[in-house]
This record gives sequence, structure tokens and C-alpha cells, in this order.
Amino acid sequence: MSLKRLITTLVAIGAIPTAALADPSSRIALIPGGPHPYFAAWEQAGADAAKEFNLGEAEYKVPQKWELGLQNQMLESLVTQGYNGFLIFPGDPVGTVAIANELADTGAPVIALAGCLKDPSDAQFCMGTDTGNSAYLGTKELLKELGSGAKIAHFTGFLVDPNTQLRIDAVERAAKEEGAEVIQVIADIDAPEPAEEKINAYLAAHASEVDGIITTAWVPAVVASSALRKIGDKRIKMVGIDHDEVVLQAIKDGFVHGTMLQNPYGQGYIGSYAADKLRTGCTVKADAPFKSNALTDKFIDSGTVFAGIDDVDNYVGSMQAITETLFATFESTYLDC
Amino acid sequence: MSTRFWESDWFGPFVITLAAIIVVGTLNPSFLSPFNIQVLLLAISVNALIAFSQMIIIAIGQMNLSVGAIGGLAAISFAGMMQVWGMPWPVAAGVALGIGLLAGLANGVLVAFTGISAFVITLASLSIYKGVNLGITEAQPFYEIPDIVKSLGNDTFIHPLPWLVIPCVLAAIGLWYLLNRLPLGRSILAVGGNEHASELSGISVRLVVIVAHAISGGLAALAGIMLVGRLQLGQPTIGDDWLILSFAAPVIGGAILSGGHVSVGGTLLGVIIVAIFTQVLVLFNIDPFLVQVVLGGLILWAVGVNRWREVRAQRRAGQVQI
Repeated sequence: MSLKRLITTLVAIGAIPTAALADPSSRIALIPGGPHPYFAAWEQAGADAAKEFNLGEAEYKVPQKWELGLQNQMLESLVTQGYNGFLIFPGDPVGTVAIANELADTGAPVIALAGCLKDPSDAQFCMGTDTGNSAYLGTKELLKELGSGAKIAHFTGFLVDPNTQLRIDAVERAAKEEGAEVIQVIADIDAPEPAEEKINAYLAAHASEVDGIITTAWVPAVVASSALRKIGDKRIKMVGIDHDEVVLQAIKDGFVHGTMLQNPYGQGYIGSYAADKLRTGCTVKADAPFKSNALTDKFIDSGTVFAGIDDVDNYVGSMQAITETLFATFESTYLDC
Repeated sequence: MSTRFWESDWFGPFVITLAAIIVVGTLNPSFLSPFNIQVLLLAISVNALIAFSQMIIIAIGQMNLSVGAIGGLAAISFAGMMQVWGMPWPVAAGVALGIGLLAGLANGVLVAFTGISAFVITLASLSIYKGVNLGITEAQPFYEIPDIVKSLGNDTFIHPLPWLVIPCVLAAIGLWYLLNRLPLGRSILAVGGNEHASELSGISVRLVVIVAHAISGGLAALAGIMLVGRLQLGQPTIGDDWLILSFAAPVIGGAILSGGHVSVGGTLLGVIIVAIFTQVLVLFNIDPFLVQVVLGGLILWAVGVNRWREVRAQRRAGQVQI
């Protein structure tokens, strides 16, 4: 049964209070692909957006596992509960298109957040980190420290994530431009146990052969920071990603050179604002200056910034600054209201 | 009748392990460096408990899909109790172990008294235990792990033997003794071999099922607690990818999935083989997109060997009847 038919049927038999559907206030749902610390900032972002923009609510709901089916079930459940705006990290860039289109058919604006849907889709746009650019800039920062001729290893995340290949390519490109060599890529380690096992095994065998490490996923960054601390090796320079406490502490203690901050708070905050605007009459500008990536031509970069030892104590300020910059011109740049 | 050692369950995996160590050690001498041996032993210590947790359920002819969820729940409980309530680590570890035992006990009671298959019950309990985990953590790790726990999870007592080897060895010896020397252990294997015949011979099948699930929960919890020490944080995702390993290692070690036959030594060797293969893929810079293929092939090989063993056992039984 299609989602639309399901809702129609439920409304017809009175299973959904029609008052909920008629409620003029926006009820925005922020749905990650599964449990992951990266998305935790969405909860506060939604709550802040709800308060500041007078939304009905902007709730963060986490599927129990990284399974497309579970995420789809949650989305169907939420629409029957009366949610009318959806910010979704696609469980699969192609597989999520169908459910996103069904949600859009009910009149709810759908925005792909932190990861994009493959075009064509009915999503209004995609807002997330330009992952390739973040990996590229992070590698450049690392090589600024190491110089040309350096040998680096790249630890990255889930292979099913289309961003992973973009990151691998971007690191290769930056290394080539700086005359460095990527001597190993270890992927599919965005879970703690395999990351711990593989990163430690790699360092046990090859620590003396590598000058630097670039990590482009949350868990590998955490595990590699701990591994470098454990072996006490400050010769190997590392640039991590995101703002986990373990990584930030390792930067302060000199085991990690810096980290590429992403902007999950800004994604949730501005995404909730945009979903409400789109639900209440605004439209996406036909000539909005979207960027393109491998999945979509309607991409908005939510920003990325390098934080080294001098910036690590004020990383929240750095993230807020990115959000403020993007938000200041968001409506005039992307929306017709 | 005594079994010749080359016909034992552990002999095949032992030869493969030995060959792998010699070949990999020759091609890449750093494989046998003390630090790498320490890294391998750390992985094996935890993974062996995960495999034992499933092995005891395979012994009664069932399966436990909630092994990872129980381990994850125990792990975040252990870390959470230390961080939020400031509980001393031995007390927190004891309570977390108790949570694992209770979770396993609940599985066992439901399977024994409802008659619903363990697959369905543990599928449901997986969801419940994982849900409780996420409800407590909201997908955020617990970071404040006492230094002594971090030290126990990573340091060695005699270089390169890590502290984590000790609970693993104790669990292996305990399980071997249980399954080979104690009436309860023989009952577990008997129930797995033929539940109906066991019942007719006076074994309380319900009690055996409940005890096996409680042991499984306890072992999974112990693995989770050890992982908190090893990772130095209480990650809510602990346990998410235990399922394949938990089945692969016992099967490589000669366990028959229909029950009644498992090998503690074989399972341990199965864990070692998986750990060595995982390392080899890293040491020899195998394309990351091929890693899953190689691991999948290893599991397929193990299942094939297992099936061949079953067929051979059936043929032998047929010959005896004739």
C-alpha cells in the first residue's frame, strides 16, 4: 500500500485525528539514517529552531539501526502522527527517493540533510557538508605540516556511503597536488570494534613507514586519536574530522594536528527553518545558486572549517560562526517568500 | 571410542592457523612483532567471548540474534554507571554482568515457556535491548572511563600478553569443563542433539535452555565490559556488528548449527583465523572494497565444511544402522 493511500484510509476510518492534519503549526521531523554521534547536534538544533521560529515542534527521531527499512517505517509512522516537514539523512541515496517522493506527495516539504538523494527526487534541496571538499581541505592542512614527499594513510567510513568514494578521491587529489602519496586506504571502519582492530594492526605493522594520517569519518578519527596516544607517537601527524571529545583532547595534548569541523547544528537549525518556510508558502528560487555534487544539482554546503590547537577551545564558536554566515543570507539566496 | 587427534574439530582450524602465521610472518615480519601480537590478542580476547556466547546457544540447537544487543547494553550500562553515578568500576562491572545474565535469562524463559523459536524471541529482544541502549544514551558515548579500566583494557601483564586475555582464558576453560565434565554441560549437548530423547531420559529441557541463554547473556555482557576498557569509551554502537563473527567462529571451529556438537578449542581457533585474516587484509593493503568479499568467502568456506561434516556424520550413522 502506498503511503498516500495508507494515510487516506487511516483518516477515513478515523485512526488519525483530522485536527492534527489541519493544525496550521509546523511539525518538523529530523531523521538520521541510524544512531551516530554526528547527528546528536540535530536535537538541540531542532529544539532551538522550534523556539526561535515559533514552530509547532522540530523533533529529532533516531531509527534503531542503520537499515533503510527501519528508517522508512519510522517515516511512515511519523507522517501518520501528523508530522508535516521532513529533514532526512538518506539511508540510501537511491533507495530513499521513493519514500521521500511519497512524503512530498502528502504536501510535506522534504529536505535531504547531511547526505543527498540521487536526482531526480522530490526533495526541495540537499544541505550538508561538501564531503569531498572537507577531505580535500583536511589533507591540504595535513600536508602543509608534512611537506611534499610525505606518505599518508587515509582512514574512512562506511563503503555503502557514497560520500566515502568522494572522500577517497579528494584525498588522492590533494595528495597528488602536494607531491605526497596515499600509501593505504582503510575503509568500512565507522564502527568502534573494526576500527580499533584495523587501525591498531596497521600502526603495529606500518607506523614507521607513514608520516601522516587523514581520517574522514567520526569513529576512525576517535580510534586513530586513541591509537596515536597509546603508542605515544607524536611524529605521525594526523588531521581528524568532527568534534568528538577524544579528538579534541588529543589535539590539546599534541597527538593530533587538527580536525575538520562539520556543521550538524547548522544543518538542523537552518533545515528546520527552511522546512517551515516551504510549508507556509515559500518556494525554492528557480535560480538559486545551488552547487552540484555526484548525486544532486541542488546542493547547499553547510560549511566546514579546520580547527587546530589554537581553535580547539572555541570550536563551538567556530561552528556557530559558520551557521550565522549561512543563515544570514539563506532566505534571500535560496527562497522566494 | 577415542578420536584420533587429526580427526578432532580443532585440527583443521589449527593447521590453517599455523600455516597462516608462518606464511604471513614470513611475508611481513612485523606481523610477529610483540606489539602486533598484543593487538591480535586484544582482538581475539573480546571476539572469543562473543563467539562463545553464540556457541553455547548453537550447542542447544538454537540461535541468539541478541548477542550484540546484550553486549552493547552491558557496555553502556557499565560505562554509564561509572560516569553518571560515580560507581566504582568493579561494582559497575558486576551490575553490568548481572544485566547481561538477566537479559539472557529473559530470552531463555521466553523460549522455554512459550515454545516460540529462539530466532523469533531473540529477534524481538534484540530490538528491545538495543532500544533501551539508545533510550539511555541517545546515541551519545560515555567518555568518563576510569584510568584503571582503560589500563586493563589496553595494557599487558607480561609483554605482550594483555590483561584482557585472562577473562577470555578463564571463560574458555570454564566452558570446556562445563561441556565436557559437568552433567549440566552434557545435558546442554544432549538437548541440542535430540531434544525429545533428552526429555524422555529425564533431562529438564526447559531448565537447560534457560541456563544456556543465561550463560550466553553473561558472556556477551563480559565481552561488552571488556570492550569499554579496550575502546576507552562506552559507545552505543558496541555490539552492532557482532552477529556474523558470533556465528562464523563456532562454525569454522566445527560446531554443527543443528545443535549437539560444539568445540571450545575449535571456536577459539575460528576466532584466531578471522582475526588473522582481518589483519592480513590490512597488512597487505587489500582494496577496501574487496575486504567484505574475502571475509564473506571465508564464512562460505566454513559453512561448506560444516555441511560436509554433517553429511559425513549422517552417512556414518547410516552405516552403523545397517
